[in-house]
Amino acid sequence: MSILFRCEDIGKTYGGVVALKDVSLSLETGKVHGLIGPNGAGKSTFIDVVSGRTPGQGRVYFEDREVTGASPSAMRRMGISRSFQRTSIFPALTVAAQLELANHGAGGGQTGELVQMLGLETVLNTEADEISYGQQRLVDLALSLVGEPRVLLLDEPAAGLSVQESAVLAGHLEEIAKRWDVAILLVEHDMDVIFRVCSILTVLASGRFLVQGNPADLRNDAAVIEAYFGSTA
Amino acid sequence: MGQMTTTQSLRQSPILRPSGLIVVGLAALCVGVLVATGSRLTLSLFAQAAIISTLALSVGFLARTSNLVSFGHAAPFGLGAYGSALVFKHGLPAEAGIVLVLLAVFALFFLIGLVIGRLNGIAFSMLTLALGQFFFVAISKLRAITSGADGMLIPLPNTLFGLPSRIFQTPQGMLIIASAILAVLVIGIYLFEATRAGRLAMGVRENEERVLFLGYRTKLLKASLFAGSTTIAAVSGVLFALYQGFVSPEIMHWSFSGNALIMVILGGSLAVWGPVAGALVFFFLREWLSEITDHWHAVLGLILITVTVAWPGGVTALARTVRQLLTGRNAEEERT
Amino acid sequence: MIINALNGLVYGSLLFVLASGLVLVYGLRQVVNFAHGALYMLGAYVGYSVTMHAGFLPGVIAAGAALAVVGVLLDVVVFRKLADRDPLVTVLVTFGVMLIIEDVVRTVWGTQNYAIDPPAALSGVVEIAGAPFPVYRLFIVAASAVMVGGLVVWLRYTRSGLWVRAASHSPTVAAMCGVRTNLLGPLVVGLGAAFAGVAGIVAAPFLSLNPTMGAEILVLSFVVTVIGGLSSFGGAFISAMILGQVQAFGIVYVPEMAALLPFLLMALVLVARPQGLLGKKE
Repeated sequence: MSILFRCEDIGKTYGGVVALKDVSLSLETGKVHGLIGPNGAGKSTFIDVVSGRTPGQGRVYFEDREVTGASPSAMRRMGISRSFQRTSIFPALTVAAQLELANHGAGGGQTGELVQMLGLETVLNTEADEISYGQQRLVDLALSLVGEPRVLLLDEPAAGLSVQESAVLAGHLEEIAKRWDVAILLVEHDMDVIFRVCSILTVLASGRFLVQGNPADLRNDAAVIEAYFGSTA
Repeated sequence: MGQMTTTQSLRQSPILRPSGLIVVGLAALCVGVLVATGSRLTLSLFAQAAIISTLALSVGFLARTSNLVSFGHAAPFGLGAYGSALVFKHGLPAEAGIVLVLLAVFALFFLIGLVIGRLNGIAFSMLTLALGQFFFVAISKLRAITSGADGMLIPLPNTLFGLPSRIFQTPQGMLIIASAILAVLVIGIYLFEATRAGRLAMGVRENEERVLFLGYRTKLLKASLFAGSTTIAAVSGVLFALYQGFVSPEIMHWSFSGNALIMVILGGSLAVWGPVAGALVFFFLREWLSEITDHWHAVLGLILITVTVAWPGGVTALARTVRQLLTGRNAEEERT
Repeated sequence: MIINALNGLVYGSLLFVLASGLVLVYGLRQVVNFAHGALYMLGAYVGYSVTMHAGFLPGVIAAGAALAVVGVLLDVVVFRKLADRDPLVTVLVTFGVMLIIEDVVRTVWGTQNYAIDPPAALSGVVEIAGAPFPVYRLFIVAASAVMVGGLVVWLRYTRSGLWVRAASHSPTVAAMCGVRTNLLGPLVVGLGAAFAGVAGIVAAPFLSLNPTMGAEILVLSFVVTVIGGLSSFGGAFISAMILGQVQAFGIVYVPEMAALLPFLLMALVLVARPQGLLGKKE
């Protein structure tokens, strides 16, 4: 397994308040790396800084090349793609139209397989603000997946999905990582999804690195339980 | 879903559906009936309304595609008018001169767009307001070239684009020419929105951040949309100068830009034709009010306030509601 | 030199008072108030009429009070109903308000120019650096400083001022904390309008009264707020002071181009700092 994407000492300060400090992790092809922690731990901030959405500290390497500070569009054209916690789609465009837009932006390819996998065939010609919230989440995910990116930074893709939908999503993520050889960073609150798909976990608490390890070990790690689930879990 | 060819996507444009073609045909018929039966005064009003509609269309186009709202489109309008006036005054080749003026406006505002395109929302609007006032002051002060506040009479050449020039100054002639140009522009914008660049522009309006994260750079696109929109305003200015035979700096004052903006908001931006409808409503409302009362400013102000508070979305939203009532189906399905 | 700088200070002070009214209303209501120039003009005319009958001080008070009433009405009747609408829609409404006020002014006072003499107590000249300078202009600076100083003290050190700052920062959060935003609206818009009105009458002996005075100064007040950063009083102060100086020296050294300078300045600032001098980045 090779390391495809490496983040070193990522940090972010909002007007004197440290939201994230010195967090490092790396992603391997074909593997899903989970980034977990309680609310306010800095998970979304991590993705925002790494993907160039907000300025911050630290260095980012893609294929051993430093890409720190590259613009969002440059990142995407290199093959580094992200999704959004708050659904970020095009409300007035049909699902087909926005996939076509994403497809062309990512350099072209086929979206048919993706549409089929995510079960979006029936809503292709519907405007995005007319479909269900769960489907909108899938459109957001689809926009990130179009064009077979090499690195995927997913910010709570299961947020707002039902238990069944989350399970289906987890299946997709496993398949995507394996079949496309994609390196995935998964920020997620749904522990079923996390323990099912992740091969390694990084735990944050209050903007700091807490611990890293494989899911089976961390499930019983006292520090993680303390920080994440509260002492009574 | 594979790649769509350009022809395929153009064919999906609402304007090329039967309903769109019928509307275009009906509009042409209305203009025809007007020209055949209207009085000189009516025709003159409609000719002016068609010219101003083009200006409103330009402001609306920018708002619709890139979500940028200009408070300063009187500037390109005025530059088009003054540019063509100067071309005629100095006896330059008229047709080439007008084309050159339009190209110059495009180039100038493309460069400006590159700089100010990274501003969004109200900051962009305020900057265009200031930019517009800059050109207003500049034109007023450059007396040696523009005769300043006195304005300039425009000596038309004998023929223009193969037509005798006086046609441009008759109400019938200008009504037909301005409506034709307006129709071409409206259809052109519909077709543009069906192209890939047009979709991208709609994407920028809807969610610019996501467009960036899809791998697009939007700077050139936004500058081009800004420049394209100002060029349409300049076309409107050229028509204005041809019809009036006179230009003065008032047409570049911010209140003129403000009127264009009122038309756009009155019309709403749910459809490409919204600003044109808004312009017609605003123009004839103003004419009618000024006939019946000296206090038409205040009455117009009251109507503006009432309409915006009570009836959001403008003419296009009303049209959608009416269509919904008539057809009994969800108008959302048929967004134009 | 010093006289030029003083003239710039006078003009800058007026612009700052106007801009602070815009900033106040923009901060709370996110309304870009195109009627602000018309409110300024209305204040000048109301103040003029009262001054003619009862003297300057009653004129100033009347202008402030009348415009405060107009501002409160504006918020209660119009702005409040548009609170959750697209900011552009409210722009259209303020256009409507502007048209109405301009019509009222034309109807009541006609279209001719008026001039007011400064009150006797302020009508002399003082010698500054060997040149005469009208006392009244110094009064304009002092009056502006008192008004804006009072505003800052109110916002910083009183409970209601704290509420206004909280509500301007985040209306929802403030409402959840028990701040009654529905009462703050009339208060803030009324105050903003009163500032415009007082600025109008205070400026009247310095400039002259005519039905286009509002439209002219409105654009410059916008320029001041945009350079300053839209919702920043500090930014508006700095930019008003710079603009005042630019105007004063521009008229002396490049008279033909002086009117262009504010716009050039704005373009320069925004190219370097799109969010304005002290504006917050989105």
